[in-house]
Amino acid sequence: MNLTKLRRNYTGYMFLAPFIIGFLIFGLYPVLNTLGLSFTNTTVMSSESRFIWLDNFKRLFADVVFIRAIGNTWLIWMMNFIPQMGIALLLSVLFTSARLKIKAIGTWRAIFFLPNLLMPAAVAALFNAMFAYYGPMNQLMVRSGILSVAMRFLENIWVTRGLVSFIQWWLWFGQTIIIVMAGMTSIPVHLYEAAMVDGASVWQMFRRITLPLLRPILIFIFVTSLVGGMQMFDIPFMLTDGRGSPLSSIQTNNILMYMKFASSQGHIGAASSVGVMVFLMTSICALGIFYFLRERDMGDGKPKRKLFSKKNIER
Amino acid sequence: MLKNYKINTFIMRFFVYLLLILLLIITITPIWLLIVNSTRSTTEIQQGISILPSTHLISNYRLLVSKGINMPRGFANSLFLAVASTAVTVYFSFLTAYGLVVYNFPGRKLISNFIIVLVMIPMQLSIIGFYRFMSKMGLTDNYAALILPLLANAGAVFFGKQYFEAMLIQDLIDAGRIDGAGELGIFHMIMMPLAVPGAVTTGIFAFIASWNNFFTPFILISSIGKYTLPMLVQTLRGDVYRTEYGAIYLGLAITIVPIILIYAFFSRYIVSGIALGAVKE
Repeated sequence: MNLTKLRRNYTGYMFLAPFIIGFLIFGLYPVLNTLGLSFTNTTVMSSESRFIWLDNFKRLFADVVFIRAIGNTWLIWMMNFIPQMGIALLLSVLFTSARLKIKAIGTWRAIFFLPNLLMPAAVAALFNAMFAYYGPMNQLMVRSGILSVAMRFLENIWVTRGLVSFIQWWLWFGQTIIIVMAGMTSIPVHLYEAAMVDGASVWQMFRRITLPLLRPILIFIFVTSLVGGMQMFDIPFMLTDGRGSPLSSIQTNNILMYMKFASSQGHIGAASSVGVMVFLMTSICALGIFYFLRERDMGDGKPKRKLFSKKNIER
Repeated sequence: MLKNYKINTFIMRFFVYLLLILLLIITITPIWLLIVNSTRSTTEIQQGISILPSTHLISNYRLLVSKGINMPRGFANSLFLAVASTAVTVYFSFLTAYGLVVYNFPGRKLISNFIIVLVMIPMQLSIIGFYRFMSKMGLTDNYAALILPLLANAGAVFFGKQYFEAMLIQDLIDAGRIDGAGELGIFHMIMMPLAVPGAVTTGIFAFIASWNNFFTPFILISSIGKYTLPMLVQTLRGDVYRTEYGAIYLGLAITIVPIILIYAFFSRYIVSGIALGAVKE
């Protein structure tokens, strides 16, 4: 490598400098700061702040509220993720089926994706109005005879949890369809042709060809959805009173963190400890899934399949 | 046998379209109800559901702004913030992505992998430390606190990198160098103009992300004059408007309709952008 080329390659750092500086100051430092604060009893109200080691964490794990918030978050996330993945796989198979030849696939997908772009806070406020006691949902239910008397939907634990999951599903299923379909169309057709010659059924082809080849994409969706789901805030916050009512059934990790932060004392230390625990839990789950599941059965001497690349986008 | 196959295909197709129409109804109904109800008076709304608009748009708007919620101000704030966020995100993420793709410096692979890891890290959870840091810097209640972190937007860099890898033409860079252009000049004059479609896609996502962002401004911004639309939505839920459903629906519609319009014009960029962000080979 000659000298000009070498020098030129170092100019790469110049291009990266804003990102690296921005990340160190606004990304890494706040994480470390949060970690540091989680070992203290800092509040907004007093200037005094003491190092109290793991007391915040001890209190957190002794607190049923924290355990319940984590449980709520996982539950609501799973109640939305499983049907989301199910419908995405089903629709992708149907859309790509050579036998069915569904028309206007692009338009269907574009419509199903629309909710994803809408403001989650506004959507939750909309559902709050729709499921209010005097709201349209009760009018419809009572007039059509499904319910004999109007129901207080947002005071029922499971209706409310179901609604949060439904809204999340409603916001995300279109995007999942698009990603899964892009993955499916990139699977070489000759694999299916060969399987058909061998007399494989539709289910066998799905099970033996589609699913294994789709795995990197499915893991990508799984991980990004999990990371998003563990930080869920806007929808449960706006759907009811902002404290996870009824009976704290939709109080998620982030809502709990916010409540500690915004309490009359402003317990910054305690709020940080919630952030740190959820941060650790989510990162470990996400990175663990990503690295352990991704390449597991790729040890057959073939080059590693790239998770991210840009073929087949136009289709 | 062949006839049976055809009939079966026909029946299957029927059920598939039925499913699609059902999903269509689920997708559209809430949005349609919102838009329709924003034109109906509270009395009409309480009398029953309608799928046709009414005539109370103007009076709903008067009601909405009469109770201390400054909707035009919130709209302008959101717009300003979204435009600034878009500019910062597009320029700096493409700058970073270009640097990662073109130059072969030590640590390149490490940084590339690290950016993928960053996409999977729940950064929102460091908000308390971020808040504390910003308040020490005197930047709370300042839009800078919402814009500056976008210097390091891992998702956008990742997308830009995909884009440059797909389109980059080494010959063009070499030609630029022979013509005496500086490295930054080549990026500005040659590569950015070529990357416009990718920049538009990144820009749309950045704009929408900022427009919809509630959590961060909710924590950081405190003066009412600086409230963005999602924060006004939160105010709308409060006691003042409790029974004024027409005004509430209109307030929500104002936050949502601009995004639907953007989508109507740019849906191709957006849909292809999602696939590009995740597809493997």
